[in-house]
Amino acid sequence: MELSGSIAAEPRPSTSLLMVGGINKRFGGVRALRDVNLEVRAGEVHALLGENGAGKSTLIKILSGVHAADGGTIEIAGKPATFDSPARSREAGIAVVYQDLSLVESLSVADNLLLGREPRARFGFVRKRELMARAEAFLGELGIPLDTKAAVGSLPFAYRQMTEIAKALMGEVRLLILDEPTSSLTSDEVRILFDAIGKATRRGVGVIYVTHRLNEVFEISQRVTVLRDGANAGTFVTAETDMKRLVNAIIGTDRLAGAASRAAPAAARALDPSPVLSLSDVSNDRLSAVDLTVMKGEIHGLAGLIGSGRTEILETIFGLRPIERGTFEIEGRPWLPNSPADAIDQGVALVPEDRHVQGLVLDHSIERNITLPRIPHFSRWGFMQQRAAIRRADTAVARLSVKAQGASSLVRTLSGGNQQKVVFGKWNEPRPRVLLLDEPTVGVDVGAREEIYGVIRNAARDGSGVLVVSSDLVELIELCDRISVIVDGRVARTLKRGEIVDAEELHHLLQIYQASGQGVLQEQPA
Amino acid sequence: MTELTAPNVAAAPTRSDRRRKLLQNLLRGERPYMLYIAFVVLLVVFSLSSPWFLSVDNFLNIGRQTTLVSIIAVGMTFVIIARQIDLSVASTLALSGMAAALAMSQVSNSWIVGAAAGLGTGALVGLLNGILTTQLSIPSFLVTLGSLSMARGLAMMVTNTKPVIITNETYFAIFGEGTFLGIPVPIAWTLVAMIVGILLLHYNVFGRRIYAVGGNPTAALYSGINTKWVTTAAFVLTGALAGLAALVLSARSHAARPDVVQGMELDVIAAVILGGCSLFGGRGYILGTLFGSLIIGTLNNGLVLLGVSSPMQLVIKGAIIVAAVAFTKR
Repeated sequence: MELSGSIAAEPRPSTSLLMVGGINKRFGGVRALRDVNLEVRAGEVHALLGENGAGKSTLIKILSGVHAADGGTIEIAGKPATFDSPARSREAGIAVVYQDLSLVESLSVADNLLLGREPRARFGFVRKRELMARAEAFLGELGIPLDTKAAVGSLPFAYRQMTEIAKALMGEVRLLILDEPTSSLTSDEVRILFDAIGKATRRGVGVIYVTHRLNEVFEISQRVTVLRDGANAGTFVTAETDMKRLVNAIIGTDRLAGAASRAAPAAARALDPSPVLSLSDVSNDRLSAVDLTVMKGEIHGLAGLIGSGRTEILETIFGLRPIERGTFEIEGRPWLPNSPADAIDQGVALVPEDRHVQGLVLDHSIERNITLPRIPHFSRWGFMQQRAAIRRADTAVARLSVKAQGASSLVRTLSGGNQQKVVFGKWNEPRPRVLLLDEPTVGVDVGAREEIYGVIRNAARDGSGVLVVSSDLVELIELCDRISVIVDGRVARTLKRGEIVDAEELHHLLQIYQASGQGVLQEQPA
Repeated sequence: MTELTAPNVAAAPTRSDRRRKLLQNLLRGERPYMLYIAFVVLLVVFSLSSPWFLSVDNFLNIGRQTTLVSIIAVGMTFVIIARQIDLSVASTLALSGMAAALAMSQVSNSWIVGAAAGLGTGALVGLLNGILTTQLSIPSFLVTLGSLSMARGLAMMVTNTKPVIITNETYFAIFGEGTFLGIPVPIAWTLVAMIVGILLLHYNVFGRRIYAVGGNPTAALYSGINTKWVTTAAFVLTGALAGLAALVLSARSHAARPDVVQGMELDVIAAVILGGCSLFGGRGYILGTLFGSLIIGTLNNGLVLLGVSSPMQLVIKGAIIVAAVAFTKR
């Protein structure tokens, strides 16, 4: 087939900087990587693409020595290498620039560049002038315009990233790994970053560039490797491929076809025409004039890039963000969400994006978590009705088939999928009028994902209006009756089920609408 | 994609499981029974080494001596579970005592006026602590470090550091010297504070919210809990209890002095931490706090009876507190 046959021409071994062959990695019962190959040449920018959980993060963690591979070989410049710690990987000349940078914000650029390698005088005193001079000389050599005296915390994000890259280049770096470096940059800042990358490759450094923004792939990379479900889905010479082929490789033709066929029967479902929630002209610091209507029993998707304002729409409805302008109606009555408590009173429920931080008290029991939003419902005269609370939690555990010893199990001991079911359990009863879901299946395995889809469909069937944000476009197409495309805090377009043919098309649409923020197929934290 | 096998498939606990669980509970666990054992060990050691230790009178003595710490520690338990700290409690006690005594000598010599002034002043200091912490997002360590100094300074300023004599006999009887059902009133008030604390923390809606706010403030907010209000309420409760302790102390000494109980906040915090509260929030219980405070009181008392010099007492007390926390921490 075209994809597997499109492996680039055999590289000359002399130019090969990194050679990864047949890497395997298991986490418990899950095969995160299966016989993955990757080759990066000196002076090359090699893009690495893939969906959530495709294995990009795992591969990077193996290269940076965080995880050990279960099998396979890694060669650096023709010599076999094994990384059992981040320090060993560093010694071999591999540097990773993470999204959350590893800089000390209160220190200056120069201090950061030479952190741990400061020129020293006797008794451990730092030769400040020499430090400054060395940092300036190095930046001058690279041609990176940075003020060495400025505190890193005071710099714009792109310049911090440049500092990070310069810091990596200061050591003996041969391979630079950039993990979604443009996710929070403006287009001017992206320019600056690309300049810095160019300077690195001209010195013979190889770059692995992880991204979701396909247009960047065409702009900066020479070759592309796509991972899907932990395996290679093709390596392409950038100049010889196009967006359509890359999207095909990323999503996989099987899954595209599957979603389309599953989506088809539900297309006939007629919507109850009464709106349960409507926003008109809603604006605040992140939203500008949002108009949105959710019908009773509708599953309404919000598609958009990270930073487009998808999450902020949910947070505004849930009373977490102050509103500057605009009106809300819930079941036809005007209402202004002031606080989460207020939203909950109106029957609005939120399953937030980060269940560990926003959704759960990990060290508390399932029962305590499930009763949290409605504590007063389980009390009389201010005192907890312990038995009612436990009964309620038991019901939720059974209905959502949470795998746990009982409602008194600590949430921390559960798997990701079961934890997410507990978050859903918080809003199970009484039925919410509006159910807001932010990335409901991130970090959840395939089986639990299907169960969660079932829970979402049941909620809609019971009459809740569901508003769901997801980076997984296949998921949106499979679930949603309508999808609104969010760009720059606005609803750019709303598509009905018939209008959206497949994820590929939606993906294209988003890339076209892209203004800022990162790509669609967001990598989940491992 | 990192979800692994489902843990916790229900299985009947075997006997060895249960024994291991008991051992775990003894050593650390949700409720560190080690605490109770430590208390019993202390009692045995002191009983064997001092002929005066093991007597009803001496136990009442310990009870009376730990009253102030125990009462305030109930409030501190709420504050620490909510991930906060209150360093101002000893100063609040001094200021509340002055307010109670002055209200009775200047406004009206009635015990009700005195009690209202004392409790109200304590609650007010707590309210300010809570509002500054939650509304201005200043860490409570800093807020209460400031109010520690300010409350003490105010207490000294109102009478230019002179004590205020109290003459109200009813006030003495209710808060200091009387008995209630045969129990000396200071101990009775401690029990009242404990019982209210247990009901509030372990059976009331408020307690649920305190645990949630301390366990994960963001998740609590996203569950519709007014985290600022809940946190502020914990400070108000602690301040009011410092006020109650002030009533007990001033009724016992027939006067309020502005320089009393300096440094007592450390005993209170030590008692709460000894009692199994996590300084990281979300964990702790009132009965543990009671035992924590009893251990500190028993140590103070026993070491005196053994004739240990007071500098040495400080060293031993400190070492035992650190050792106990090391044993009971999770």
